[in-house]
Amino acid sequence: MKQDIDKLLEKYYEGETSLAEEKQLRNFFQQDDIPAHLQQHAEQFRYFANARNQHPSAASINQLANKLNVPEPVRVISLTSWSLRLVASVALLIIGFAGGLLYNQWRSTQADVNVAAGNGTSSLEIKKVLAYEPQPKTSASERIQAVNQSSELTQADQEITQLLLNTLNFDANVNVRLAACQALTRFENEPGVRDGLIQSLKIQTDPNVQITLIDVLVTIKEKRAVAEMQRLAQNQQALEAVRLKAEEGANNLIHDKKTPS
Amino acid sequence: MDLQAFKQRILPVQGRLFRLAQLFLRNREEAEDALQDVLLRLWTNRQQLDAYHSVEALAVQMTKNLCLDKLKAHNKRKMSDDAELLGVQSDGVSPYQQVEFADSADLIRNLIDTMPDQQKLILHLRDVEEYSFEEIEQITGLSVNNIRVILSRARQRLRDNYVKANDYEAGH
Repeated sequence: MKQDIDKLLEKYYEGETSLAEEKQLRNFFQQDDIPAHLQQHAEQFRYFANARNQHPSAASINQLANKLNVPEPVRVISLTSWSLRLVASVALLIIGFAGGLLYNQWRSTQADVNVAAGNGTSSLEIKKVLAYEPQPKTSASERIQAVNQSSELTQADQEITQLLLNTLNFDANVNVRLAACQALTRFENEPGVRDGLIQSLKIQTDPNVQITLIDVLVTIKEKRAVAEMQRLAQNQQALEAVRLKAEEGANNLIHDKKTPS
Repeated sequence: MDLQAFKQRILPVQGRLFRLAQLFLRNREEAEDALQDVLLRLWTNRQQLDAYHSVEALAVQMTKNLCLDKLKAHNKRKMSDDAELLGVQSDGVSPYQQVEFADSADLIRNLIDTMPDQQKLILHLRDVEEYSFEEIEQITGLSVNNIRVILSRARQRLRDNYVKANDYEAGH
């Protein structure tokens, strides 16, 4: 046995021992009764055996475990590989384009429906919007839209023209009145329209509308308006531009009458 | 590699990594810090770990490099924590023996401490951690023959120094 140990030690110091043999040596030197001549070797084997028993403290192991556990949720969210990121970005792009296309389609069908519905009921709607109310509930732009829609009508009835004339005479908003005036030009052949326009010229006080009316009356060659225009031209309360315009309009109509057509 | 696999493969090694760090740093707290550092680095790079032949060898290598870097970085004054070592060795021995053992264990420790890093590392890996020559080869990148030579020198040097120191004390 001791012979063995001597041999093993020799091999050990040459670095030739196997792991099993080294274990044998360590175990041997763990005993208490070691021969005196081997005593000098004992300490380092004891040291090695003891060194194996050192471990990190439980506190540090726990700390580490906590650090490892915490970032876990972040890891789940992040896209780990480049290919995945690429796929995700392409998918996003496709979704974006598809969404845009779908929305466009939806919009156009919606508009179609509106137009289809509008054609059938537009005269009704116009009437509804323009219906005279002491306190108008509709906004000026809505009324202008309604007036403009009347131009889409191929045939206007008495009611519509009457409504437009009412609008022309009594709407609170100048722009609506102007739009009504323009719309009425298209219905010059309807009964009552020409009379209504001449009447309106008497009522209007806004220079813009007055000038537009004069223009309209000149273009439709309404000669009965001459008297009214001359009266307007004499009116000292009217704006000078309006008076000039009225005079010019009256002259135009008179000359038109004189030149044989 | 998920957390479960990581724990199964890496955490059993942490005792070894810790002892290695302590071998170089001579201080329990710093060794624990180094150990955590290494394991966290392994964890953050876990995607690449599968590419390595032996994760344990990689971990040992990282620990060694980190410790040597640390030593270089602040030109370490080598702090020892003798009290801790005493506590480890004190099972079932009489107080007299305990003092004697502690003294000689200290002596051995200081002797190992004075060795060159390479001898120290290989001696530790072989005699404390019982790595095979092939494993040490993986960790250090040295050939088996080279390792045998270094190991043999380290062992002899340790014994000779120990005997010398003991004789010096006995001579008094």
